[in-house]
Amino acid sequence: MIFRRRRNTQDFDEEMRAHLALEADELKSEGLSDEEAQRRARVAFGNMQAAHERFYLKSRVEWLDNLARDLKHALRQLIRHPGFTLTATLTLALGIGANTAIFTVIQSVLLAPLPYTNPGRLALLETHWTDSGHTAPRMTGPDAVDVRAQARSPEAVSLFAGGNEGVGLRDHATYTEVTWVDENFARVFSLRPIAGRLFSNAESHRAALVSEEFARDNFGGAQAALGQTLRIESEAIQIVGVLGGGFDYPGKSEVWEAFPLKPDSTSRTAFNYRAVALLRADTSFRTAQAELDGLSQRLQKLYPADNRAKVIEAVPLAEALTGSARPTLLLLWATVGIILLIACVNVTHLQLVRAMERQREIAIAKALGASRWQVMRPVLIESLVLAALGGAAGVLLAVPAVRILVAMAPKELPRATEIQLNVWVLMFTVGISAFAALAASIFPALRAASVEAAEALKHDASRGMSRRGAARLRDSLVIAEVAATFVLAIGAGLLLRSMAALMARDMGYQTRQLLVVDADAPAHADADYLRVLRQFNGLFQELGTMPGVERAAGVMGLPTGDYGSNGYYTTRGGLPIDPAHQPWAIFTVASAGYFETMQIPMKSGRDFSAADTYWSPFVAIVSESLAKQSFGDANPVGKQIQCGLDSDKWMTVIGVVGDVRQDSPADKPGPTLYMPMAQHPYFANQIHIVLRTRVAPLSIVNAVRARIAHTNPLIAMRFTTMDAMVSDSITVERFRATLISLFAGAGLQLAMLGVYGTTAYSIAQRTVEIGIRMAFGADRGTILGAILRHAVRLACGGIAVGLALSLLLVHLVATMLVDVHPVDPLSMGAAAALLLLTALAASSAPAWKATHVNPIEALRAE
Amino acid sequence: MATQNNSDDRIALLQGTLDLLILKTLVLGPQHGQGIARSIQRQSEEVFFVDHGSLYLALQRLEERAWIGAEWGVSENNRKARFYSLTTAGREQLAQKTSEWQRLTRAMGLVLGSNSGLEEA
Repeated sequence: MIFRRRRNTQDFDEEMRAHLALEADELKSEGLSDEEAQRRARVAFGNMQAAHERFYLKSRVEWLDNLARDLKHALRQLIRHPGFTLTATLTLALGIGANTAIFTVIQSVLLAPLPYTNPGRLALLETHWTDSGHTAPRMTGPDAVDVRAQARSPEAVSLFAGGNEGVGLRDHATYTEVTWVDENFARVFSLRPIAGRLFSNAESHRAALVSEEFARDNFGGAQAALGQTLRIESEAIQIVGVLGGGFDYPGKSEVWEAFPLKPDSTSRTAFNYRAVALLRADTSFRTAQAELDGLSQRLQKLYPADNRAKVIEAVPLAEALTGSARPTLLLLWATVGIILLIACVNVTHLQLVRAMERQREIAIAKALGASRWQVMRPVLIESLVLAALGGAAGVLLAVPAVRILVAMAPKELPRATEIQLNVWVLMFTVGISAFAALAASIFPALRAASVEAAEALKHDASRGMSRRGAARLRDSLVIAEVAATFVLAIGAGLLLRSMAALMARDMGYQTRQLLVVDADAPAHADADYLRVLRQFNGLFQELGTMPGVERAAGVMGLPTGDYGSNGYYTTRGGLPIDPAHQPWAIFTVASAGYFETMQIPMKSGRDFSAADTYWSPFVAIVSESLAKQSFGDANPVGKQIQCGLDSDKWMTVIGVVGDVRQDSPADKPGPTLYMPMAQHPYFANQIHIVLRTRVAPLSIVNAVRARIAHTNPLIAMRFTTMDAMVSDSITVERFRATLISLFAGAGLQLAMLGVYGTTAYSIAQRTVEIGIRMAFGADRGTILGAILRHAVRLACGGIAVGLALSLLLVHLVATMLVDVHPVDPLSMGAAAALLLLTALAASSAPAWKATHVNPIEALRAE
Repeated sequence: MATQNNSDDRIALLQGTLDLLILKTLVLGPQHGQGIARSIQRQSEEVFFVDHGSLYLALQRLEERAWIGAEWGVSENNRKARFYSLTTAGREQLAQKTSEWQRLTRAMGLVLGSNSGLEEA
């Protein structure tokens, strides 16, 4: 029928004329004059032009007309039920707002292309070991040079290295992200300076580019920065160009110092560099990887020891940058997805209740010939209007929510500065609002459609005895809601317990009352390093006697700190070495008194002392794990050890100390090799000074700053506390746990609302029944018990379903858990108890009301 | 009695009702629009008055749903007119709507006949 040709207007015109003629004929036959008959015929027809227009427009605008009418109707209905409208809108706003906020972060961080030229062609080169399955996002110098020289897929390959550095300006020093980059870096990222020029390979260690912000903050502007000198690691570097457009790769780099195309390190086991590549426009990542696989094979043959099982991989830069944030963000997305579902279920409840009230209206409409679609439409449209309101309110909620999220986000969150609401996010919001509208109204609409006109009219809705189907539907909605909330609560429980476990963990040192100073002293010639060492040693003495300070020491490689080194080592007189698993340790360079200051227990032997100098025999202290790893049960004191930190001198082990967790509380205590600052002066100018204080650590910052500046004004300083550093090292975990708990709380409230609403509604419907039962002598306890039992049954059903779901889903968070088994009876028990209590609390108010029904009045309401 | 006489005891037809009446009228055989209007009016003992504009919209609607078909023909007084006739689907529809309507009126009668349950409707 759809293909039937529509009537044209001429045909309709003709029919109208025929009608008028026929009517006039008839009137004439009734005895009217010709003229009068025609006039009456026209009048009876009504306005000819209007009929004509109605016919003409019908095909085009009828649906629009209907829509407008339904919209008006829906708005009137919503205004007439402000309680319903407000509750539904707020519920949807919560669900949609949370989703919009999280999606904003996901879109900006994971989905939006990187803000660089050719974002899709940028690759980070990584090293992967096929035997251990381990991947490091780093490269050795020679491997990277081979890729640059031999691979055809990249248009340019750039090596870089760097980190937080003290940068000396004319009259002071500042801490900033400095990256050493070769000439190709600018080619890979297609950089164009906004002032000055790029540097060439010939200017290595002499020229640098700086960011627009750095130029503005330190020199007043881009032009003013050109030609200025920076002192970085004791080299005088001239600023030749300024980069604009907010470019800050890698990390939050502000200074890019020229570094030779041929890297200093020639070791194929020292992963001192990172490397980025720009793939050719016609080359896919797959092609590039195939070529790199071939190249890696050749290198494995050429260097069987160093390159054993080593494969160089090209990873899309966006993925490499945001990979670490992905699981957390996806977890949050799943969480807010559940919240939206719960919100939809709640609105479905509300809609169902409204639909019950409308049954007669619908029945009459059906009896008068309304089609299924015609009775479903108002329900759907009302839901759409609600979702539009909820969506708009959700966006309003999302704007501050995103701001709070970004403020709360761990500093490791990549691309945080790019996070903002945009048109993609708004499209997503419109999409989920439409989804919410449909999800919340599909059941009520279908129920409306299935209303049997005569049946509905025969029934007295207020009796509610025959509402089995509807009651079952509402009950299953409550069960679904409780199940979803249970899953959220379990997730929150597991992450909170992990958080608690992390915070309670013994770090291996005492974090409280410890002031930490990042101190970076410029040094260039050997004499500088020795002078700095002397200055620092003097400072430790001096700071240790300040009022409020117990003792002070220095370290390169402070746990959770920025600096550090690690690598393989060898021993004499230790256990035999498996060549496939060479012993590995963290290398830490410390002053005398470091262990005492940190309260790392000395297990045997002695601490470093003033007698351990650059000219005396080299010594080392090992941690318990290292002792066990390399010496088994034998006493390591007196044994010989050698590592590749800066010299190949053998060191005599003079002591054993307890293990520490190096990177964060999530880290395992592992092998550490401690060496004295005095014997490794090249690692002794960029250190952390630690001060064990009797007073609040930050209260003595100014005094400490003055002391250090008095000794050497060129030392760049930053202050923090050990507690803050440890706390910062688990911000990702905290962020996750906090947000999930917030969402679980929101879910719980929505579930409570759902249980309350359903109980209250079904009790209101059963008022008569309850009245009759009470009239026949049922006591209040029985009725109260029956209602509460029903609520508990629903909650238990929901908990059972939620338990099954959470067992299915729990492996998704398994990697995020610390010291908690994914199937955690405590979390489950707590979640179940919480939901049961919530269900009981939510149903007890309506249940109480029900037991105070006056039988006479209830029956009179008939 | 002219059709435009809009006295108070006449009832404007509800949408749906008119559809049913048109289908019912066509059971007797094909009829043109003007004839249908007259027929409804007469059969309802002049209680219903049919707005002719609405009538044609209803006819259009029923035709689109394929409950009625239409063909140009010649009337008894020799005028060209568009004749409508019931289709099989229309006949089924009529049977179904009629029974629904009867149940509805019976129920309405019951409800209105008794003295209770009004406040809830």
